[in-house]
Amino acid sequence: MSKFNVGDRVTIRDLPPLFHTRTQGYTRGRTGVVVALRPEWVIPEDEAWGRYEGRREPFYMVRFNQRDLWPDYGGVAIDTLETEFSERWLEPASASPAPGKG
Amino acid sequence: MNTSQDHGHDHSHAAIEERDEAIEFTVLETAIRELSIAKGLFSAEDHRRFMEWYDQVGHTGGARVVARAWVDPAFKQRLLADGVAACKELGIDWLQPTGVGTPSDYTYLIVCENTPQIHNVIVCTLCSCYPRPLLGMSPAWYERSNYRRRVVRWPRQVLAEFGTIIPGDVEVRVHDSNQKTRYMVLPMRPAGTEGWSEERLMSIITRDTMIGVALPDIDWTTSSTPSGTGQPA
Repeated sequence: MSKFNVGDRVTIRDLPPLFHTRTQGYTRGRTGVVVALRPEWVIPEDEAWGRYEGRREPFYMVRFNQRDLWPDYGGVAIDTLETEFSERWLEPASASPAPGKG
Repeated sequence: MNTSQDHGHDHSHAAIEERDEAIEFTVLETAIRELSIAKGLFSAEDHRRFMEWYDQVGHTGGARVVARAWVDPAFKQRLLADGVAACKELGIDWLQPTGVGTPSDYTYLIVCENTPQIHNVIVCTLCSCYPRPLLGMSPAWYERSNYRRRVVRWPRQVLAEFGTIIPGDVEVRVHDSNQKTRYMVLPMRPAGTEGWSEERLMSIITRDTMIGVALPDIDWTTSSTPSGTGQPA
């Protein structure tokens, strides 16, 4: 059961990356939109240590406006970036757009 | 010792020699390979055959998929809906041991269709994930921090360094393959290719057009030879 749906605005949580993660530093605290629900699989934080029966959860494709990812993005306003996250890394974006992390 | 007579400099320098010490990963690879052979996991010949095959896989699988998508709209829709299943129709099986990865490494392929509104480009900032069953071995620049760190941050500048300028009214969409999904760009079919056979179409679908750092050009095929000016010989 997926917690988020396509079209939801989500903010990437800044969880402590104990030993291994695939959630990029440049996405922490940033807000994007879920554009696809991805299949469920073992989270990389467990799989990297050979725990193939580890925690499974849904994954999501999130699209960011580059202007929201980088404080001084010099490209074009319509440029975007997409990447995937497991559910634990996402939280609903606050109603009002939050300022990007510095 | 080279002298000034050998290559036209007006200075001399020491001969260029390979470094004496192997880096850590070279030692590790050698140790694991020799131990595996000693334990009978595979033979030296198995390993040589694998490396020989792997080094020549190349990009033709990807070119075949793109050419088929260009001529067959129904195939294109299947490709965009389920990349792995569509590849299997053309004999490229992501889920069987092909030597280029295991099912736990990648079981999903998303083909990113370029349109007049969107230009896609692929990267793996974390390491160098690449659609190897379709494109073979990744180029050295794709694996370097220089590309991986900068294309997510300054994509248009990096594309310009490859000679690719995307107009300002076209969205540049970067795909960072940080999980199990692998990506490949489906370039737009250039004008002037009407009536071309799939084989002829394949000739203009080069590796870099499927990574997203280049656009197909009807005057540049995979057998074109760069001249001093960069024009086909």
